[in-house]
Amino acid sequence: MNMTLKQVNALPVRTWNWLGVNGTPLEGDVPESFPRAEGKITLPDSVSSAAHPFEGAGIIRTGMGPEAERFVLKKKNAGYDLEAGPGVKAEGPVFIEYRLGPSCPALADCNTILARENSELTVVMQYASDGEGPVFHGGVTKILAEKNAVVHLIQVQLLNDSAVHFDDVGILTREGAFVEVIHAELGGSKAFAGCKARLEGRRSRLGTETIYLGENSRELDMNYVAEHIGRETESEMHANGALMDESQKIYRGTIDFQLGASRSVGHESEYTLLFSPNVRNRTAPLILCNEEDVEGQHAASIGKIDPHKLFYLMTRGLSEAEAKRIVIEAQFTPALEKIPSEELRQTVLEWLKERMDRNETIG
Amino acid sequence: MRSFEQKKTQVDDIDRSMYDFKDKVNASFEVKSGLTPEIVNQISVEKNDPEWMRLFRLKSLKIYNEMPLPSWGPPLDGLDIGHIVTYVRPNTEMRSKWSDVPDDIKNTFERLGIPQAERLSLAGVGAQYDSEVVYHNVRAEVAAQGVVYTDIESAMHGKYAEMVRKHFMKLVPPTDHKFAALHGAVWSGGSFVYVPPGVSVTIPLQSYFRLNAPGAGQFEHTLIIVDKGAYLHFIEGCSAPKYNVANLHAGCVELFVGENARMRYSTIENWSKNMYNLNTKRARVEKGGAIEWVSGSFGSNTSCLYPMSVLQGEGARAEFTGITFAGKGQNLDNGAKVLHLAPHTSSRVSTKSISKGGGCCTYRSSVVIAPQADHCKSSVSCESLMLDSESRSDTIPVMDIRNDEADVGHEAKIGRISDTAIFYLMSRGLSEDDARSIIVSGFAEPISRELPMEYAVEMNNLIKLEMSGSIG
Repeated sequence: MNMTLKQVNALPVRTWNWLGVNGTPLEGDVPESFPRAEGKITLPDSVSSAAHPFEGAGIIRTGMGPEAERFVLKKKNAGYDLEAGPGVKAEGPVFIEYRLGPSCPALADCNTILARENSELTVVMQYASDGEGPVFHGGVTKILAEKNAVVHLIQVQLLNDSAVHFDDVGILTREGAFVEVIHAELGGSKAFAGCKARLEGRRSRLGTETIYLGENSRELDMNYVAEHIGRETESEMHANGALMDESQKIYRGTIDFQLGASRSVGHESEYTLLFSPNVRNRTAPLILCNEEDVEGQHAASIGKIDPHKLFYLMTRGLSEAEAKRIVIEAQFTPALEKIPSEELRQTVLEWLKERMDRNETIG
Repeated sequence: MRSFEQKKTQVDDIDRSMYDFKDKVNASFEVKSGLTPEIVNQISVEKNDPEWMRLFRLKSLKIYNEMPLPSWGPPLDGLDIGHIVTYVRPNTEMRSKWSDVPDDIKNTFERLGIPQAERLSLAGVGAQYDSEVVYHNVRAEVAAQGVVYTDIESAMHGKYAEMVRKHFMKLVPPTDHKFAALHGAVWSGGSFVYVPPGVSVTIPLQSYFRLNAPGAGQFEHTLIIVDKGAYLHFIEGCSAPKYNVANLHAGCVELFVGENARMRYSTIENWSKNMYNLNTKRARVEKGGAIEWVSGSFGSNTSCLYPMSVLQGEGARAEFTGITFAGKGQNLDNGAKVLHLAPHTSSRVSTKSISKGGGCCTYRSSVVIAPQADHCKSSVSCESLMLDSESRSDTIPVMDIRNDEADVGHEAKIGRISDTAIFYLMSRGLSEDDARSIIVSGFAEPISRELPMEYAVEMNNLIKLEMSGSIG
């Protein structure tokens, strides 16, 4: 069947239509049925898997918007509702791994994470595929971080080149809470991601680190929104990526200081390396401000690898290809370092190396 | 010790008294309010249009009627074209001596300081009052260089008729957006400038647009062609008295900058706070040429203004320097667009905005680098200062890069006056008031220094900042 979502990743404030960044339709072939899919989960003893989503999960908005969420809810065939009790510091990360392929061509996972007061947990979700056949993944994760709770969500997408994929996140933070989202969007024919955080509690914080790789004709489409509601809230949103071949990417990042969010601070940045004359990169970094006593900044840089950097590395004896690889890996390092598993980190690095090796302009 | 948190910077509203005086409306002719084919035909007949222009107007009207309002930007609910009078002809012909201009109109421009500026520092002046140009003059020595500076209607009927026809609304076609179509249908007045190859007009030309009639629209068209290797600085000023009904300004500026030519286009926009300023400005720059926009936006109820630079030829460059000041009741949505269509083109956009008293400033921009435009560079910087929490300030930039041989940078900052900067200056012996005053003046200074001296002074007067003695 054909999935048609008329508009996802809507820009919080519209701009000229001809730029094509106000929102994107998401279309793709998905299987008729979504039989129950099982993920491989490693659950620390201190974290429980609940039978239902936490109360109020339904009203948390996500970055991709209601259409994507409705679709996943309708097709849901997997998902976990995780909870860390008050004061629980999880002894290790929750690992959830899905492998898509002939036996599981479609996955729609709805997940919730409830971090009770003063708790701390890390959740790692990995989506990979077996074989090159078309697969579909659509996922929604809702996070509620209560007072002083800390949540790290790491989502790594390593699907094959014919996969259609989206990852959608919605966050609500209470006082002093901190939520960090790491997105690694490295595969698929279409890779969409969204994250919207409502920083409601005073001194609550959001951190996002996104890395992406565009190759072949991959279409990457992302929307990150930090809504500063409470006083002294902070957001740090950063994205780094590389585009090769005929890939296309839209990155939207919005810091929204709402009235009352005094003494809040928001920073966002995006650095994109371009490796082919046929790529298309669109970046829309917004700052919306309805509060005087705030500080917002964004920076973006788009272009080729700095030739001076390459030259320096090559004077140290590296080949051009090696030098390029090092620069790209360095670009991805801030996000990769936050993956709490050496094995998964190595898998991602191998994945990147393989892609760079087979690309003429790099390898 | 006073609390840093409690006190707010006090910044005065712009003193508009020098612009906010009204003449009795004494039109020799005006159309009914609204927009119909009959009205458009009537304007065409009154203006003695050539047939191609009459047909062009009607085609534009059709496009206008078929196009929706923009789905982005500030609300336009208070604007009803059914209540706008699109053509008001003042009771005079165009003159080339101020002494021949009727006293009431002449006095208006005297109060605005236009004849004095002409005597002191301008190579030529055009003055438009409501829908028609009432005065146009260019210094003999400039005319002797072959520079043509006249009202556009005269150009359309004279020696330059073909040149006008070849360029008129080719850069901004009526299909561009709804208000460009409106302009195509009812345009009137404006200037035509032609600078021949290699001629450098060392002192600026200026056109001043005054809209006096309540509920009226002004739709002037400015067409400037700066030929190969030439240079021109053109200044545009505009103002209107305040009325309780909406006025509309939907002008159009088309600039053609030839090979290795350079043009600077400076604007001080100071419309009254009942004005909808939905203006379109665009420049096409050929090989090695340069366009420099300098823009100060202080007036209007609602403004949508994004001068666009189309870098058509190799090595062409564009600079945009702008400041926006939005006070109570104002929604000023300004910015810039740059389209890199050729290799080795470069652009730099630098903007500042100040919002206070419930005013809303939006910086909106686009930088597009086309697939064929290798080795382009673009740098965008925007800074916004919020002076209270009733106000709003949004930054909406987009970059669309379709070429890997590009170097594009963007940075934006939004916030309040920095406590650290105040503290530093105070540690150097300045009073708190002086420290704040210096910081706010310094914020606007990079823009004001780009303006001609008398406009920099005017701008500094416009942003007369009075500090209350505390930090906001």
